[in-house]
Amino acid sequence: MFEMMEHTADVGIRVRANRWEDLFVDAAKGLFAVLLAKPEEIDPVQQVDLIIPGQEDDELLLDWLRELLYIFATRRLVFCEFEVRRTTEGIAARALGEPLDQHRHQPQIEVKAITYHGLKVERTEDGWLAEVIVDI
Amino acid sequence: MSQQSFKGPLEQIDESCWRIPTSYKSGMRVEGRIFVDEHLLDQVRQDQSPEQVANVAHLPGIQMASLAMPDIHWGYGFCIGGVCATDPAEGGVISPGGVGYDINCGVRLVRSNLHLDEIKPQIPALIDALFRRIPAGVGEGGPYLFGGKELQRLLGEGCRYLQSQGLATAGDIEHTEANGCLADARPDLVSPKALERGSDQCGTLGSGNHFLEVQVVDEIFDQEAARVMGLELGQICVMIHSGSRGLGYQVCDDALRDFRKVPARYGIQLPDRQLACAPVDSPEGQAYLGAMRAAANYAWANRQLLMWQTRECFAEFFGRSWESLQMGLVYDVAHNIAKIEKHTIDGVEKTVCVHRKGATRAFPAGHPEVPQQYRQIGQPVIIPGDMGRASWVLVGQGDSMKKSFGTTCHGAGRVMSRTAAIQDAKGRRIDQELAALGVVARARSRHGLAEEQPAAYKDVSQVVDVVHRANLARKVARLRPVGVVKG
Repeated sequence: MFEMMEHTADVGIRVRANRWEDLFVDAAKGLFAVLLAKPEEIDPVQQVDLIIPGQEDDELLLDWLRELLYIFATRRLVFCEFEVRRTTEGIAARALGEPLDQHRHQPQIEVKAITYHGLKVERTEDGWLAEVIVDI
Repeated sequence: MSQQSFKGPLEQIDESCWRIPTSYKSGMRVEGRIFVDEHLLDQVRQDQSPEQVANVAHLPGIQMASLAMPDIHWGYGFCIGGVCATDPAEGGVISPGGVGYDINCGVRLVRSNLHLDEIKPQIPALIDALFRRIPAGVGEGGPYLFGGKELQRLLGEGCRYLQSQGLATAGDIEHTEANGCLADARPDLVSPKALERGSDQCGTLGSGNHFLEVQVVDEIFDQEAARVMGLELGQICVMIHSGSRGLGYQVCDDALRDFRKVPARYGIQLPDRQLACAPVDSPEGQAYLGAMRAAANYAWANRQLLMWQTRECFAEFFGRSWESLQMGLVYDVAHNIAKIEKHTIDGVEKTVCVHRKGATRAFPAGHPEVPQQYRQIGQPVIIPGDMGRASWVLVGQGDSMKKSFGTTCHGAGRVMSRTAAIQDAKGRRIDQELAALGVVARARSRHGLAEEQPAAYKDVSQVVDVVHRANLARKVARLRPVGVVKG
């Protein structure tokens, strides 16, 4: 699950998950909830496979969200379902979604970038916690 | 989240400047100085931005002081409103965080010979026409597409390339900071991802705090400077606020990733990893500067194309050419940029790398980089405010060269988070409230107007008062919005 965090100029996404992989899934859902007023309207009809190399948890999360933002910005694709698998090189992932529909998905804010500020991925007593701030 | 207040020392130097002494944190090479007054001081303390001023003071080669303007607020690594000059000859560094994601975000002001009292009933229809015409919002491309070679030329030549395509005039070039083109841009160092993000976005507004406003000159404070700029009471102007769009964001993002391990490579100790930097003269530093300059040129071209579409829209709407509407460019300023400039520091002239992040160049009268037309009055400075109150035109003043590397403030600065602003606007119609203030507002997104409502910002006039008193920039004219187009 994810929630939005208060921030003066930008928006933060806080994610709690039982499994490490689900942190990545829910952070991605959080990103599209920032971008779109109606992320629940996305149909999972098109798939994109991604390989994100890296060893550090926080930088992997950053690079994963970065890649999704780049695909959104250039190919105008929006996603609602994600499968994430940890590999020895980083993560292998699949994102399911469709082309952006201005009317149905109602884009609401442009995300310029995923930032390092306050970037956090850590173990908690009952799972995992991540925090990331996006620049808008 | 660093939203707690700043508890460190702030010592008053004079009525418009406060100091963070070097004794505050070990490793500070120079002191911090914040241009502010007693009214704004409490707001400055509300977040960790003064801490960021102290952190920037750690950068190798930093000169004089780590500075911040009265519109200071918390940013990534560097605060917004921050100014930092480093000397390459003393190991001075360049930091992508000192420029920001939106490379060469900036503002331009276009005049006209229309007066509000003549066209007031037409304002709603004019704003509707602009709203239809100006590409804005998330995921929106524009009518101008630049393919491989064209985009490379645009990145290398900025507005000069557009002039060769009949999309800019000699007057537009002359009245743009740096003539709309930084030399030594390296389009070849802009990543394919950044090029892809930029291919259809030149001439688009974007979203967030970017805007196009139709404004009226509301009050004049310096008749002579206003006359030289062609501004008079009651006159209609257009202000455009945008930057380098996805291309610039990606250049910054690429640089931050590339710079992850660079400080360690050069033995640079930093209090915050977001200050990641490289010596200006290193291959890494030069590569970033080359790509940043290309993105800056893209941003100037973006604002030029936004202005061009605005002129075309006005011409169609009023049935006269834009030339006959006298829609000349007053000036265009960058407020997120790093530039190599000459400054005299402790009596010695040095060539330094000036980072301005949410800060505007404000060269005084007589400076060779001020266009001939404005050489006697100083460089025009355009300061956008919120969409309900005011924006300002200033001119650079003499003290800017000795106090702030020829720099002044850039805007109002947020005081309310976006979520709080949306919450605050629940059950209200911001467009109707603005209409009651005489402002016709159109936004593409559902939350656009709520997030950007006037109450979300500091009063820009208080910010301007500080830089006026500190003699960094002098008030020339105040403009009031009558129509707003947002993403």
